[in-house]
Amino acid sequence: MNGFRVLSLLVLVALRNNLSAAALTVTVKDAGGAAVSDAVVYAQRDDAISGLVKSQAVIDQRDKQFVPYMTAVQVGTSIIFPNSDNIRHHVYSFSPAKKFELPLYSGVPAKPVVFDKVGFVTLGCNIHDWMIAYVAVLPTPHFQVTGQDGRASLKNLSAGQYRVAVWHPSLKGAPENAAQDVDLGSAAKELLFTLDLKPDFRAKRAPGLSTGGYR
Amino acid sequence: MKLPTLVALNVLCAMTVSHALAEWRFDAETGAFYDSNLSNSDRASDVRDDWAWKSDVRANDGFQLTRDLRLNIGADLRGEVWDHFGSFNEIGIGALSGLRYRFGLGRQAPWLLLENRLGYDRFQDTERSGYEETIDLRGGVSLSERVSLEAGYGFENYAVPDTFYDRQVHIGSARVIVDPISSLQIAVGYNYREGDVISYAVPPRPDIRRLATEEREDDTTFGSNPLFTAYKLLGRTHSVSVSAVYALTRYASVGVDYEYAVTLHDPLQYENHLVAAKVLLTY
Repeated sequence: MNGFRVLSLLVLVALRNNLSAAALTVTVKDAGGAAVSDAVVYAQRDDAISGLVKSQAVIDQRDKQFVPYMTAVQVGTSIIFPNSDNIRHHVYSFSPAKKFELPLYSGVPAKPVVFDKVGFVTLGCNIHDWMIAYVAVLPTPHFQVTGQDGRASLKNLSAGQYRVAVWHPSLKGAPENAAQDVDLGSAAKELLFTLDLKPDFRAKRAPGLSTGGYR
Repeated sequence: MKLPTLVALNVLCAMTVSHALAEWRFDAETGAFYDSNLSNSDRASDVRDDWAWKSDVRANDGFQLTRDLRLNIGADLRGEVWDHFGSFNEIGIGALSGLRYRFGLGRQAPWLLLENRLGYDRFQDTERSGYEETIDLRGGVSLSERVSLEAGYGFENYAVPDTFYDRQVHIGSARVIVDPISSLQIAVGYNYREGDVISYAVPPRPDIRRLATEEREDDTTFGSNPLFTAYKLLGRTHSVSVSAVYALTRYASVGVDYEYAVTLHDPLQYENHLVAAKVLLTY
């Protein structure tokens, strides 16, 4: 009898969770209708208080590139910056959300960098000027970076009212301008964001005209 | 421990450390080059134009000594093959070193670069063959993510046993580099060059002879019908240039250069239009 009660309770909890867990699929396109990759999609509930879901992330340096190009983390997350190249890198950021510098190093730095302020951070390498990456430090655990198809799926959202926003390094204006309110029930929902983007500009690794930067 | 063993051990240690800090880089450039006035002649009837295929391969090892200071050491091999006037065909080797200081962190920080090259150029017309030393001091600053300025001074000393082909040249340059899009860089520049030039003319030219520091009669660089006289002069050259480089992949770009140069030594004046189309590779 005792076992039956426990089993019933477990089934009820599972059913409740299933009913309240909603999935949100977001498609991000540019003004021309092309899929936008590396856009950060995040959903936030004003009344929700959530602890740190994932405490550590990794941004690698491979073949003189940051991998991945775009990383989204919840505020408070530590990021470790291993250097998988057989040369040294020098990682830095001037962004107000996280100013830091990892002076010339090989291998794995002794300490990770804690991203403790919400905002968007641009990373660079002082040795290889073309190396660039971004970190979106978000106040919510509900986020995903869009793939090549411009799609991101946020799963296991509890039912309720959310503000869903999108950020991309080339976004014109603040992310709040690219936000939508959505009421999530148990059914899956789809949203479409059309972003007004600046032309993508990244320093190139290919041979160029200037010799003063590291080439 | 004996001194030679100690020295050898130190060298070994230094090599190990250097290897760990070093970063190899290979660059190559090859393409067609056109000079509208290869003979540097002032009279239209004396002007000889030609085009060449030029190539340059360079291996470079970089040492980041501190956050802001970088040492580059390298070697290069370059060659030129001219379509009509083979006297200018050459092959050259050189050793390079450069010290770059960046005033701060990041790609937009201002920088200074001191570069030195020592080389030997072997010409088909062997009288021209000689040793070349160049010293360049250049600096740059980024005005924005897409616009930067560069300026520099260079000294070129070309030492040849046949002193007629000896030359010493001072060069001042400035240019603005714009990146309209990620893949495209455009530069507009101005150069001032002061030093030895060789101008070819069909004699008699008493007006040039009066200015020349040396002359060589019956020169066959441009053939023997007619025979030219080569005059060595001190000239001042003003030139403007436009360059564009388009990145094809992470390792390859294509580029074009155009330079319009006017060389003066009153009353002598001649013009050159220089055009280059090339492929640039890096690894």
